[in-house]
Amino acid sequence: MTDGDRLTRPLTREPGKKSGEEGGPSAPDIRKPEGGNELLRRMKKIDPDQAKKYRQRSGQ
Amino acid sequence: MRQILAGIETEYGLLVEGRGAEEQVDDAMALVRGYPGECHVGWDYRYESPRADLRGFKLNHLAFDPEDAKFDAGRSFGEAHEVRSDRVLPNGARFYNDHGHPEYSTPECWSIFELANHDCAGQKVVHRAAQAFAEREGLSVKTFKNNTDFHGASYGTHEGYLVPRELGFDRLFLDVLPMMVVRQVLVGAGKVGSENSRSVEFQLSQRADFLTEKANAETLYRRPIFNTRDEPHSNPQQWIRLHVICGDANMIPEATARKVGLMKLALALCEIGQAPIWRFKDPVRSFVDISRDQSWKFRIELDQRSWTTAPDILESYFAAAEACLELDEELRWVITSSRRLLSDLYEDFNRFRRHVDWAAKRHMLTQFMEEEGMEWSDPHLRSFDLEYHNADPEESLHAALAQMGEVVPDPDEADQLGCLEGVNEPTRALARGLAISRFNQHLLGVCWRTLTFNVDGSPIEVDLPPNAAYPQQLRTADDVGTFISMLRGVQ
Repeated sequence: MTDGDRLTRPLTREPGKKSGEEGGPSAPDIRKPEGGNELLRRMKKIDPDQAKKYRQRSGQ
Repeated sequence: MRQILAGIETEYGLLVEGRGAEEQVDDAMALVRGYPGECHVGWDYRYESPRADLRGFKLNHLAFDPEDAKFDAGRSFGEAHEVRSDRVLPNGARFYNDHGHPEYSTPECWSIFELANHDCAGQKVVHRAAQAFAEREGLSVKTFKNNTDFHGASYGTHEGYLVPRELGFDRLFLDVLPMMVVRQVLVGAGKVGSENSRSVEFQLSQRADFLTEKANAETLYRRPIFNTRDEPHSNPQQWIRLHVICGDANMIPEATARKVGLMKLALALCEIGQAPIWRFKDPVRSFVDISRDQSWKFRIELDQRSWTTAPDILESYFAAAEACLELDEELRWVITSSRRLLSDLYEDFNRFRRHVDWAAKRHMLTQFMEEEGMEWSDPHLRSFDLEYHNADPEESLHAALAQMGEVVPDPDEADQLGCLEGVNEPTRALARGLAISRFNQHLLGVCWRTLTFNVDGSPIEVDLPPNAAYPQQLRTADDVGTFISMLRGVQ
C-alpha cells in the first residue's frame, strides 16, 4: 500500500480533497447471530464432504 | 434518461450422484433436453460472434482452461448446436447446456425488478429440469446457482446491457470499470476460502479469484473484469451489448435488482458524459483486495499515490446520478437503498445482512461455527457455502433463511410462475415468447435478434429491434401472417 492522499470524490469534482488514514470506517459490529431450527435442520443434513466431491468444468 | 434493456444469463453447477466432471457435458445435455415444459427446440446461431472484440478486432480462438481438456481426451460430443441442446421458452428465455452447465438466460427486461423475478423463475426452470432428470435416471441430482466449485473451476453469471455503439470501448471502460470493481461490497455472493495462492477465510466475491486481466474478450480462462466480447444481438451499427462477466449469482432477488441497477447508473452517466472519473493503480488487484478485505475499509490504490474507498466511489456515482440524470423510481431506489446499506454495514450489520448475500452467508456460517466449535479453516464450511446456492427450495440454505425472515423474501410464487408463462413488459421477448407459444409449428429459427418463420414453404426472417415497444395486441394475431405483419410494424 502507498501512503498517499485519500480521494473521497472523483477527479473531476474535488481532486484536491485530502484526508488521512484515520478516515476509514470503524471495525464492523457483528452481534451474536440469531438461530433458527429450519436452517439448523438443513445444515445438519448436509454431507460435510459435499464440496470436496464437487468438481465442475470451467464455464464462462 | 434512456431506459437500458438488460438480461442475466446464469450457468448452474451440476452435481449428479456417482458422476463427475468427465460426464458433466452428457449430464447437462440430458438435463436440458428433458426439460418438462413447453419450448421451442433449437437456436439460430448465425448472429453469434464470441470472438469479436469491442476494440475492433477478432480473436483467432478463445482460450480454454487446460484442466478441462483432460476430461475429453480423444472424445467428440458432436456438432456444437447438438451439444448445446437449446430450448427457448414461452417467456422468450433461452435454456441450454453451456460447457457442461445448464444455463438459463432470462428474457430481456427494462425493469430491474422484473429482471430479478425472471432470474428467480430461471431457478425454477433449472430445478424442474433437474427433478425430471433425477426421476429418469434414478439418481440424486443437485443444481447450484453459484460460480465456483472451490477447486479452481468457475462458471459465470453474466449480465447484458444494451448501449449505443457510439459509446465505444474507451469511454465504457473508463466510466463503468470502477463500478464493476466496487459493487461487490453490496452485491457479492460471498465465498469461503480462496482458490488462488493467497489464503483468506471468507471473501465477498465468488469471481475475484478468477479475474486476472483488466479487459479482454475471454470468458473461460484469463478472465477479465471488463469483457470486450462484441456480440450485440442486434444491429451492430447501432448497438453494443455490454457483456458483464465479473458479477456473482445472487440468491437474494433484491441483490439481483441492485446489481443490475448499479450498472445502469454507471451506464446512464457514461451516456451523458458525466460518470465520475477514477483512475485505479491496478483494477485487478483492487477487485481482489476488496473481496478479501476483512477490515471492510475497502481501500483502493489510485494513480499518483492517492487512494480512496469503495464506498466513496459508490457515493460518487450516486451523487453524479442525482445531479445529472432524470432518475426513474427504480434507480432512485437503487441509490437510496444502497446508501442505507453502506451505512448499515458499519452501524447495523443485522439489517445489512438481510439484503446482501455475502453478509447473509457469512452470518449463517459464523452462527454455525460458534455452535459447533468450528474454525474458518474447516473444509466442511465450503459444503454449507455450496448449499446456500442449492436451486432446490426444499434444501437451499438461502431458502431456509428466507423462510425464517432472516433475508428479504423472494417474489411471490404467483409472480414467479407468471414469469414462466410470458413477459409483462413490451420488450422483444414478448414477441419471441408469443412466437413460441402461438406459432411454434411455423418457426424455423429463433435467436435474440430475429425470428424466422416458414410461411407456405418459404423462410421469412423478421428482425426484432431491441429498443422498440412491442404491443400487447400481438397476442391477438390469429395466424402467422398477421403476426409477422404486426411485428414488421413495430418501431
